[in-house]
This record gives sequence, structure tokens and C-alpha cells, in this order.
Amino acid sequence: MSSTPATNIRVPMIPPDDLPRSVKQENEYGRLESEEHLYQVKPMKRSNQMEKPIVDTPPYYISLITYLNYLILIILGHIHDFLGMKFQKDKHADVFEHDGLAPWYSKFESFFARRMKKRIDDCFSRPATGVPGRFIRCIDRISHDLNNYFTYPGTTSMCLNLSSYNYLGFAQSEGQCTDAAIKCVEEYGLHCGGPRTQIGSSNLHIQAEQLIARFVGKDEAMLFSMGYGTNANFFNAFLDSKCLIISDELNHTSIRTGVRSSGAAVRAFKHNDMDELEKLIREQIVLGQPKTNRPWKKILIVVEGLYSMEGTLCNLPKLVELKKKYKCYLFVDEAHSIGAMGPTGRGVCELFDINPKEVDFLMGTLTKSFGAAGGYIAADKWIMDRLRMDITTASYAESVPPPVLGQVISSLMTITGELNPGEGKERLQRIAFNSRYLRLGLQRLGFIVYGCPDSPVIPMLLYCPSKMPAFSRMMLQRKIAVVIVAYPATPLIESRVRFCMSSALTKEDLDYLLRHVSEVGDKLCLKLSSGKAGVPQDGIPPRWDVEDVIARTGEDCKDDRFFRV
Amino acid sequence: MVSTRAVASEQIYSRQALREGIVAMSKIPEVLPRSIPIPEFVIEACSYVWYHFIAVMRWLPGGRYIIEYVRKSHQDDPYRTIVEILLIIYGIIYYFSKPQQKKSLQRSKPNLTPKEIDALIEEWVPEPIVDTMVLEEQRWRLAKIPVIQHSGINNRVNLTRNNGAESFSNVLNLCSNNFLQLSSTPEVLEEARKIIKNYGVGACGPAGFYGNQDVHFNLEYELADFFGTEAAVLYGQDFCVAPSAIPAFTKRGDLIVADNHVSLSVQNALQLSRSTVYYFDHNDMESLENLLIDITESEKAEHLPATPRKFIVTEGLFHNSGDIANLPKLTALKLKYKFRLVVDETFSIGVLGSTGRGIAEHFNMERSKSIDMTVGSLATALGSSGAFVLGDKVMAHHQRIGSNAYCFSASLPPYAIKAADKVLEIMNNDNSTVQLLQKLSKQVHQMFSEPTFSKAMILTSSPFSPVIHLQLTPELRTKKFNYSKEGLFETNSDLQKKCNSVKFIEPYEKEEIFLQNIVDDLLQNDSILITRNTIVLKNETLPIAPSLKICINSGLDEREIESACDIIKTKIFEHCYSDSHN
Repeated sequence: MSSTPATNIRVPMIPPDDLPRSVKQENEYGRLESEEHLYQVKPMKRSNQMEKPIVDTPPYYISLITYLNYLILIILGHIHDFLGMKFQKDKHADVFEHDGLAPWYSKFESFFARRMKKRIDDCFSRPATGVPGRFIRCIDRISHDLNNYFTYPGTTSMCLNLSSYNYLGFAQSEGQCTDAAIKCVEEYGLHCGGPRTQIGSSNLHIQAEQLIARFVGKDEAMLFSMGYGTNANFFNAFLDSKCLIISDELNHTSIRTGVRSSGAAVRAFKHNDMDELEKLIREQIVLGQPKTNRPWKKILIVVEGLYSMEGTLCNLPKLVELKKKYKCYLFVDEAHSIGAMGPTGRGVCELFDINPKEVDFLMGTLTKSFGAAGGYIAADKWIMDRLRMDITTASYAESVPPPVLGQVISSLMTITGELNPGEGKERLQRIAFNSRYLRLGLQRLGFIVYGCPDSPVIPMLLYCPSKMPAFSRMMLQRKIAVVIVAYPATPLIESRVRFCMSSALTKEDLDYLLRHVSEVGDKLCLKLSSGKAGVPQDGIPPRWDVEDVIARTGEDCKDDRFFRV
Repeated sequence: MVSTRAVASEQIYSRQALREGIVAMSKIPEVLPRSIPIPEFVIEACSYVWYHFIAVMRWLPGGRYIIEYVRKSHQDDPYRTIVEILLIIYGIIYYFSKPQQKKSLQRSKPNLTPKEIDALIEEWVPEPIVDTMVLEEQRWRLAKIPVIQHSGINNRVNLTRNNGAESFSNVLNLCSNNFLQLSSTPEVLEEARKIIKNYGVGACGPAGFYGNQDVHFNLEYELADFFGTEAAVLYGQDFCVAPSAIPAFTKRGDLIVADNHVSLSVQNALQLSRSTVYYFDHNDMESLENLLIDITESEKAEHLPATPRKFIVTEGLFHNSGDIANLPKLTALKLKYKFRLVVDETFSIGVLGSTGRGIAEHFNMERSKSIDMTVGSLATALGSSGAFVLGDKVMAHHQRIGSNAYCFSASLPPYAIKAADKVLEIMNNDNSTVQLLQKLSKQVHQMFSEPTFSKAMILTSSPFSPVIHLQLTPELRTKKFNYSKEGLFETNSDLQKKCNSVKFIEPYEKEEIFLQNIVDDLLQNDSILITRNTIVLKNETLPIAPSLKICINSGLDEREIESACDIIKTKIFEHCYSDSHN
């Protein structure tokens, strides 16, 4: 290995594959095989909405093994640390003080990253190239010395893509969206000029904002060049330490950062537990601010539309009811649900058949469903007028660059049917079918899957930390790219693999996936479902044969009877 | 009765005495006062329990010694036994009582009936979600935002304002942050088009999950090579970098020493850092050194178990004033007092130094030996979008795990990456654009630093800065608006401390309107677009003064800019000395 040239340590630039146009198109967005593989989402019935979801739990021995697994990892890590720091000081220079400077991070702070995450580093940050569409072209790499470094032989492999946030399949290198983006490059260049309030606004920004506002059903919207930054610099525009934020415990880090920098007080409630939320609101209105006991100036409830690690929806009807009853304000982060959920892609409000005017702030990203980058915030006109002056991002940060706007405008118009009528509708029906098909298929095979039926995020539970790299590597061998997530993004014992659905996939792709997941699931002992979270409720754990699943799920998945909502 | 009691205990203890050959406890009943009649069964039960308790204690390994100890201590000091028993009881009660924290919360919870609670909830009236009290007074800000029509950010643009109510054509643009204009060259545009045709627009994922493509990795290598550091890390937006990268390395107990004129982005970073923050006077190295000496001394006195992480945070080209940090002195001080140096180079990358390599090159120093963490932007001089952090490998690696804006946000679009890559390549081969920019900057700087002009407005920018910041002189500000920069800072801090919902400082608003009038006049009568330095005052936590901003870029014609600056000067002069505002 010592003879490998130094350049191999760096990720090589991969020249684009010279493929015929039709093959390239197929690789980015699979052709629909049959009209059967479409499903039109219907708004949820009110009666179903209030039911509390049943969460399947694994047998006790699995939990025990998972904890043992962590225990062994931690003990081994500490032994490794002890020996390494005694005898191999040069290899651990990063945690020691040198030249009187404290290390960048302490031994304790970095333990998790050094001794646990590093063991499975080969499952993260896999370099890719080309369009992250139906297939993703992963650049091969070889791990050395327990993931200490990688070398790159310069080859690639085409993997079935269940990892990218490409819900509606707009990651394409041709078609109306790419044309629009290229046209923007020609007409507007690449640079945004500067902050929005100085020179960074163009007619494209105005057009995109109007389109988004109309799409989500609000008076006005405002665009930002980064989704994370949208949230991280939003709350300090109108909240201060005399305001209260009531936040779902599973809210995204960007929201937490934003809330922290606003200085407002925060109380968290258990994920989707509306009773606890109501109790908390009542208590807080009565108690008021700590120490002074003065009433809060305002109370803002912050939730996500679709939780990216759970696949669960917020209980919007109840939230709106509570918000009205207690005069609170409501913020819904639709990062994952906008475009991908609801009968015409308008997110959770449409799915629950709730007027968007009932929600004070609708936030979303443009990265996921629209295949672009950035985020937006939509609200009533009088609110937006104030916020345009007060949101710091608008006055200090770069604005959205023109090619991204081209992509946003064209993909949005495709969804609404103003561009290529029918295409947007088909994309929406495809992702709905795909999501339901894969979810029901996995449930029938016996896997524990979280979330609601229409969610394009399908988390499948692995539990043991050692099964994560095993699953990821075995999937990669089978040319399937998946994302594994573990603590701290999930509870400690609920490590999972997250399948991100896309309209670009065909049923044939999903069948390929199901066959391999089933096989790997048998090998890794992942079929743990007790059946209590699924249908039928006969108490017999579902363990279908994969061929039966494939033969029967295509039709069944369109029927709500087979899902517990 | 007394006799039976004695007999009963005698019987029990005689059994034990027989077995173990020890005569024990027979005097226990005598301890009890004979005058109080005690029911027989209580005595019997107590004796029974006591007997078995002792038996178990003897049976336990080491139990003998405990009995021995208790007996001895009781013999020496009977009161001690009582105190110890009370202590044990207190311990048990304490253990089973609710945690202290919960108690204190409950204490503040008033004892209310459900009806009273409902009434309180009914009574509560929240403030409106955003404050609209001064919306009308400040609405002019919205109406004055220029919207460029159907073209890129070129040097001549058409624009509208106030929802299309005003429109201007062929305006000279002196606002753009694209200082080098390299990303508008045909070769860079061609590269961007090619990438869109091969990669699409979005990267569709965060860096950890297949979002980083070969172009991303390679731009990181290029950036690191270009600036002479070990590694670089890419971010999605310049404003988010410092507030994410700095807190990734700081925790409670760490120390940050910052310039007191840093931009809002760095202020956010300091707020999120959890560390102890000290400020030194703007670019005043003496003040910094005094502070460092104080800190080092107090640290010596404290005898901390481990050295805390210590940072000096400043900016390369200041966002709010356009002057340059004194890097050689900063480096000397950070080496002497064992601090790390963090420099936000959002505006100085591509601008300072003979080849645009930033502040380190400007002072002929090596970046890797002087600055520990550089925050740079791809959206200013490099003319693309996004941002990056430069530094050593260990720091870069930790950011990829611990920096929120990196971990939890989608990667940049590949075309933006490739465009930045191409611009770097051009800069690497040919520094004439950078040189031209510096020449123009110096020329403009000279024009605005004339003594007669300085009586109206002060130029705070360095001669190398392509952003010309013009502020009213303190005298003129007092004369015209009757307030000072220090007073503004005080009033603003006061409003922030009180959490007033309405943050409206009248003289400041008046000065802003005055500056905007200059901008409007130039736009309407001379077709020149400059801008106020737009700030969100209620979020600024450090001293700041309103200023006008003129941005130079290397694509401008020398003569054009000269005549434009002449006009600007005259207009400013007119406005400053007209009596309309007095």
C-alpha cells in the first residue's frame, strides 16, 4: 500500500460518462412502466387524524444486544484511548496540548467521533459525481487503517439512489428545468450581486417569491440562499427573551440554532404529543416568565411538517385548534413536505385540508423537492413587510443566485402544471405510489418502519449500531446507495436506515430493492416487526415471502385499509 | 406485669445465650422506663425483631465489627447514637423527597382552581406576532430596494423600485460585491453551463449523505492549495459560516477576545459560542495586548485544571468600516499569549494581496503560520455563491462532524463550485485583475480623502478596500441630528436589554433617511447607483454608525469612475451643507 501515489488520496475528477442520450435520460429519471404505478393522494379524513400512532418495538433481546453493543464499543474505545495515548502519542496529537495551545477539541468531546463514528466513516460522505437522479454514480474508494484515510482507484459504480433528497426527480441534466437554469446563466450570469436590500434583488427573485407565495397559499414569500440559514437567522427577527417558543423535541438543528440566537425561552414537548403540548401551553400562560412571573409577550409553537428522521407528520388540525384556542402563533417547517406531500404537492396544509392562512409562518426549502438550493419563508403581507426589514439574512448575506432561481421557477411551474401540463401531476402520483409501495412492502416483509403512509421518507429500524455499517456496506455491494442515521440524530438505540423516495424510481427498481433488502434483512436479523403497527391486526408477525410481496403490494398499497394512519 | 416482661425477654435471650455462649442484651428491658405500661405484644415483637436483626448482622460478613463499633461508640457517647440515627433518617427522607429543582419550579406555581386558570388564559393577550407600531415610519426602506430588471449585475443596469413605480435605465452600478467580475467571463460561464448539463442544478443532499461530489472535494483541495493551508471546508452561505464554525470549537469556559467592530455574522458567532467574550478597541493593538496580559495573569492566579481554548477574533476587511486588521501585530500577540487567531475574510479574499490571496499575502505573511481559522466567501470577489473555512487538517475534520451549518445543510450546487474553481484558476495564472482593482480602489480612496471633503464625511476604508464606506463626521452628525455614535450604541443596548418590542431611535432614522436622500438624488439625477450600508440595528450589539457604501469593481472604466466619484462628492457636499434638514 505504501507504493500508492499520493494523488490517490484525493478524490479524482470523474469525466462525464459518454452514454447515448436515451440511456442517460433513463438513468436520471426512469420511464413509467405502467399507469398502474400511480397513486393520487387524497386529503386525510378528519376522523383518522386524531388517532395516536402505534410504534412497534423490537423484542427485548434486541434492545439488550443494542445496549451491550454500545457498551462493548465504549469499553473498547476507552482501552484503545488508554493504550493509544500512552504508547502512540504521535497518532493522537490532536487531543493533546501543544505549544501552550489547548487542543481544538478535548479527548472527552471527541470520543464519540474518534472511537465510534470513525469505525463506520466509510458509510458516510461517499463522493459522487453526475446527476443524483434515479441512479447515483458513486466514486469508489478503499478504506485504510480503520478508515484513517481513503484511496481512490478512479473507478465509479452506478448505484440505485435511495439517498438523495430528490423527491420529485427534478435532479436532471436536461428538460425544461435545466434549460431554464442555463438560460438564466446566459441572461443573468452566476452572481447575485450582494445582499437583498442592497443590490441582490432582481425581477427573477420577485417572480420566484410570488410563485412560491401563490403555491403555498400565502400573501408573500421571501427567498434565502440556504435552507439552514433561513431558520438559523429567522427567529431573532421578531422574538426576544420575553417571548416563549414551544418546540417539538425532534425539531431540526437549524431551528434550534435560530431559537438559541433569538434569546427566547424554549420549552420542548414530546414528539407529536398534543396533550402534553396543551398542558404546557396552559401552564406557561399561567406561570409567565421565570423569576418575574410577568406574562409572556408572545408564544410561538414551532413544529415540522414532516419529520425527516421519523417520517411522521405533525398533527396540524390539532395544532391549529390549540393555537387558536390559546392565542399562540404557529410556525411549520415544511423542509421535507413541500412539493412532495399533498394532492397537488402543496405540503401538509393541503394534506390535512387546512387553510394555509391558519398557519402564521410556512417555511420550506428549495433543495429537496425542487432540485435547487435555498429556503423560503411565507406569511401574510403585513408580517412579511416587517420581516423584510428585520431578517438579518436579507441585509447581510448573499442572495439567491440566478441559475438556482431558474430551476426553482421552472420546477414550481411544472408542479402546478403551467409548464408541460400533466408532468407535474405524474411526478406527484409517482412519488405517492413509490412511497406507499415501498412502505407496505417493507412492512409485509417484517421490517419495523416508522411514519405515515404517504411520507417519502421511509425510516427502517436497524437498532444495533453494528448493523448500520453492515447494512450500508452490503447494500453498496448490491449497488444500492442508502443513508444510515444513528445517535445523536435519533434516540440511542434506534439506529435506522432512511430510504428517501423519488419519482425517478420505477416499480422495477423498488422490486430490486425489496429483494435485496429482504435478503440482507434475513442475514442481519432485521425482520423484527410484531405486526402491531400494521394491518391486519391478527397478532401474527408479518413475514411474507418477497415474491408474494412484489406480486400483491402494487395493488394493495393504493388501499388505505392496509395502512394504519 | 413487669416480671412477665422480664421473663419473656429472659426466655428469648437465654436461647441465644445457650447457642453462642454469650450473655447479651439482657439488660435491654431495663433501659425502658418501668413507669410507662407497654403492651406485652409490642415488647415481644420488638425483642423478636431485635434478636433476628442482631443474628443477621452477625451472620453478614463484617457484621460483627459493625455491632462492635456501634456498641463501643454508644458506650463512649450515647448522644452520638441519637445524632447518627437522626442523620440516617434525614438521609432517607432526603433521598425519597422530590429533586430540588422540581421543588423550586413548583414553588412558583400558584395554587389556582381550574376556573382561575381558565380566567387567566382567557385574560392573556399576546403582542402581535411582529410589531407594526413603526412599520409605516420605516416602510420607506422597502420602497428603496432596487430590483434589477432582466440582466445580470452588470456595470450598467436597468432597475425599478417600489413595486415598479419608479424605473431607471442605464444606471452605473456601484453596489455589486462581485469585485473582480471574473465569474462573468465567457470561460467561467461556459464551465457553469457544462456542469449544469452534466450534474443538474442542486446537489440534493447534505455533505455526509452523498451531497459532496467530486467537484466539491476538488474545490476544497484547490482552495487549500491556493491559500496555502492544509484543508478547506465548504459552506452554503457566507453569513452562516462564522456562527457555525466558531461555536463548533468553543464551550463554556473558553475565551474569546474580539474586535469591538466585528460584523453581525461574527457577533452571532460569539453569542452562540457559550464562551467568555472580551472586546478590545477597534484595531487598537495596545488595547488588545493589555487585555491579553490581564487574561493571562488572571488565568495564572486561577490554576485551572486544563488550558482553555483561547481565540482572538477579528475581520480582514471590516464589514462596517472597510479598514484592515493589523495582522503582523495580531500574529505576534497570538503567538506570545498562546491564542488562536480567527479572521473573517468575507470581504478581503480575492481583494487584498498582490494575487488576491487575502490579508496574509497583503502583509507578506504565510497564512498557515499566522491565521488559525479563516472564514472566506465565494460570493464576494470570487463571484460565485457559498463560503468556506480554511485551516489545519484537524480543525477541518472536526468541523465536518461538529459544525451545524456543514452537517445539517445541503451542499452547494455543483455549478457554483465549478465556477469558483475556474475563477481561482484564472487568479492563479494572472493577477492583473486584482492589481487593477487595487489601483482603482486607491484612486477612488484618494478622491474621497481630500481634506475639504473630510469635513463633511469621513472615509473609513483602507486604500486597498474596494468598498468605500463614508460616514458623517461626528461634528456634522451632532449638528444635524443631535446624537453621536456612542449615544446610539448606548440607546440601542438599552432597548435590547429592556426587550422593548418597538425599537425606534429617531435621530438614527433621520440620518438613514438623509443618507438615502443622497442615494436617491444620485440615482434620479445622475444615474449612479450607490447604497446605504443596510443594517438591522436592533440586532447589532456593537457600536455602529450609518454609512454610505460605494463598491468598486475591476470591470469599471477608470474615467467613468472618476467622473462618477466627482458627482458623488459634489452631491454629498450639497446635502451635508444644505439647510433643509436643520
